Amino acid sequence: MWSRLTYTFRETGASLRRNVTLTVAAILTSAVSLFLVGGTFLVQRGFDNLLSKWAGGVQMIVYVTPQATPDQITAIQQALSSNPTVIDVDKLVYFDTEASLAEAKRLFAADPGAFALLNANNIPTEFKVVPKSGKLDLLVQLADSFRPLPHVQKVVLARDQVEQIAKLRDFVQTVTVGLSILLLIGALILIWTTIRTAMYARRREIEVMKLVGATNWFIRIPFMLEGLIQGLVGGLLSCGFLLFFNRLWTNGVVKLKGDNGFIALVVSDSFLNGVMFGVVAFGMIAGAIASGVAASRFLDV
Amino acid sequence: MIRLENVTKIYNSEVTALRDATFEVAKGEFVFLVGPSGSGKSTLLRMMNRQERPEKGAVWVAGRNINEMPDSKVPHLRRNIGNIFQDYKLLLNKTVHENVAFALEVIGRPKHVIRQQVPAVMDLVGLAGKQDRFPHQLSGGEQQRVSIARAFVNRPLILLADEPTGNLDPGTGEGIMRLLDRINKTGTTVVMATHDQRIVNMMRKRVIQMDRGIIVRDQARGVYE
Repeated sequence: MWSRLTYTFRETGASLRRNVTLTVAAILTSAVSLFLVGGTFLVQRGFDNLLSKWAGGVQMIVYVTPQATPDQITAIQQALSSNPTVIDVDKLVYFDTEASLAEAKRLFAADPGAFALLNANNIPTEFKVVPKSGKLDLLVQLADSFRPLPHVQKVVLARDQVEQIAKLRDFVQTVTVGLSILLLIGALILIWTTIRTAMYARRREIEVMKLVGATNWFIRIPFMLEGLIQGLVGGLLSCGFLLFFNRLWTNGVVKLKGDNGFIALVVSDSFLNGVMFGVVAFGMIAGAIASGVAASRFLDV
Repeated sequence: MIRLENVTKIYNSEVTALRDATFEVAKGEFVFLVGPSGSGKSTLLRMMNRQERPEKGAVWVAGRNINEMPDSKVPHLRRNIGNIFQDYKLLLNKTVHENVAFALEVIGRPKHVIRQQVPAVMDLVGLAGKQDRFPHQLSGGEQQRVSIARAFVNRPLILLADEPTGNLDPGTGEGIMRLLDRINKTGTTVVMATHDQRIVNMMRKRVIQMDRGIIVRDQARGVYE
């Protein structure tokens, strides 16, 4: 067992050194493509955060001042429910102080300072309103009639905030997903080529190995380890890129002062860590599998 | 030890390399396969360690029909068969010792077995003291001895030799033959393809003569003709 391990590591190391140029190319390509894959997830998450207030077809949010009494809140709810032809009453949801704080905590993940300023006495509660299908125009007209109600802080329509952002998200998503798929294919082709070149350089050795009775797995494993290491290094590099650009992005967004809601575009550290872990694991697995398949293709001695 | 039954091999569905070959090699026997280039000698050898599979017929080695053996068992079959080639197939970036040890290493033999078996086989082939040289520092005959050491270090049941003296001068070739004869006397079955007339006539072993894929003669203690 021990001699097998030393054999595997020795062969892998020798092969990596022999193929420096191709190895570096494969690592860099996988780093950039994995960075884009990770970036896609982060951008997606940021937009989802931003849009999550509006998830489930919510088109209007009625903010209620924290000072409203339960009776006053019920009155607002009744006012909303009295339009059953326009508003889908079954889907009408009320976020009380606790739920609103929980939502804010998620949206302000990047700006704990701002979140610390919020408490039960100053956070508005929310009614999330879903219109019946085809009744969006009528809802927009109704919105004005809710504004003067007592203790309604403001009424916000999705139309004003969300639609442009959603379009932007779809565009950014298409571009990043497309690019990362292209680059991933490029990275896999480079890993494949590296392994093929390595096997060609060692074809005599492999022929001898097969003739003296080495199993295909024994021959394949150093190559798979080589691909795995390329994926691992590429993945770690991409984590560096992700950390750097996410820091840059977060600092930029936090500096945008004002009540524009864009603070939600920032992702939490735990999500970033999850993405980085996933990117490294994916790089290692894809590298090992691509090399294993490439090695098998050339093992028919 | 080896039995071929009506073996036919056709390359690219047009070139018939072997036609209806049937013969048996007993354990411990020494057999020459003779005939001109392209007569099917190498194809026969390649059938015996399943580098090739016949279109028709069966190849039995050590009691098993190796054409029906699953691919996963082929490495274990080959551990019982040593191979020697005209061009030695040594790894040029490894020393003599490493070349021989490599054969044990890649089948997962532990270090202490390697340390014990490699020097023993080096003594047997007459290369003691040269284990740290590289192949290019050796003569052709010495390189062939390394290749024999590599083929024999795992003590295989069968040794397949494809023109092992083809690149050597007559005197050196005779030395290699004496070595193969010694190995044969330890009980290892040897099948050797050659068109070296002198050597066949000198050894007086069983001769199977091939011509255009057909066995035309099978003679005990034969000569080349």
